[in-house]
Amino acid sequence: MSDEDEEFERRRHKRNIAIALVLAGLVVLFFIVTIVRLGGNVANRAI
Amino acid sequence: MSEATQTYQESLGGEVGDFLELLKPRVMFLVVFTGLVGLVAAPVQIHPVLAIAALLCIAVGSGAAGALNMWFDSDIDQRMARTASRPIPQGKVTEQEALTFGAVLAVGSVGCLGLMVNWLSAGLLALTIGFYVFVYTMWLKRWTPQNIVIGGAAGAMPPMIGWAAATGSIALEPIVLFLIIFIWTPPHFWALAICRSKEYERAGVPMLPVTHGDDHTRNQILIYSLLLAPLGCVPALSGLGGMLYLISSAVLGILFVAFAIHCWRTRDGQDAYRAAKQLFAYSVLYLFLLFAILLVEKGFGIGGGALPALWTI
Repeated sequence: MSDEDEEFERRRHKRNIAIALVLAGLVVLFFIVTIVRLGGNVANRAI
Repeated sequence: MSEATQTYQESLGGEVGDFLELLKPRVMFLVVFTGLVGLVAAPVQIHPVLAIAALLCIAVGSGAAGALNMWFDSDIDQRMARTASRPIPQGKVTEQEALTFGAVLAVGSVGCLGLMVNWLSAGLLALTIGFYVFVYTMWLKRWTPQNIVIGGAAGAMPPMIGWAAATGSIALEPIVLFLIIFIWTPPHFWALAICRSKEYERAGVPMLPVTHGDDHTRNQILIYSLLLAPLGCVPALSGLGGMLYLISSAVLGILFVAFAIHCWRTRDGQDAYRAAKQLFAYSVLYLFLLFAILLVEKGFGIGGGALPALWTI
């Protein structure tokens, strides 16, 4: 593999990690926002 | 940038940091800050998590607008010293990458804001990004010396978006904040444009000093400053600002006019350059302090009621 290819792979790897972190953060954010918006209503159902 | 290097860079793809630079971090800071003031100033308490989510979406939306601006304006940017170091003129990120990046973030930020907070604020964010990219960047900037006057509406929107995120509605108070930033933008940008008029001319951007000369620009700066100084005090009348705000905004406004008059009278050589530069620097401080005081007042619970509210919404 040439230097150019290695550099390409390295950059793509770093971009992929950044995108993965952002997506994971979004999942956590949507989870927390869902809890917050539901609030006490989470218990408000027939059991 | 030679043809060969461009292809080489294209095959490599940008570093993560290059993409972050496309978001215009410094503009993003002012956008988030003024958005925060709109959010906090609203009479409705919003859950802190939702407030953070809203500010995050506003920040990313601002970044998306920045990236799309850099995509469209890369030909101008490479001809100006101030912007030649941006990622696209440097060949670190391709135009295609910037376009995709900006478009994904624009759609993502608007969608997330709508889903997590409310669709009024999301609609306003979409309007702001669209106005900045399609109206300002693609149309006005290259066409008329009134470009930054009308385009300033985009930069003035964040307090409205913040207020809409908290309340789900629009009121007179955030419209006053909108007007303050709107009227502040022309003297702020024209002070910079006087300093950089040769660069703008070379890049073919019809900024006011290029089309109508520095003296005409100085007149306009003075007119807008005289409008801005009293307008800056209005939040104290609408019940948003308190006594601290009333006094500070009056003093800061008088100083703004003083800097504008100094710039208006100093027309030759290095002194003229320095006077315009000082006005530009002060204009940033002015807007920052105005909004910071609103935030401080709200934090200490001393906002509003400096004068009996003249109107209620």
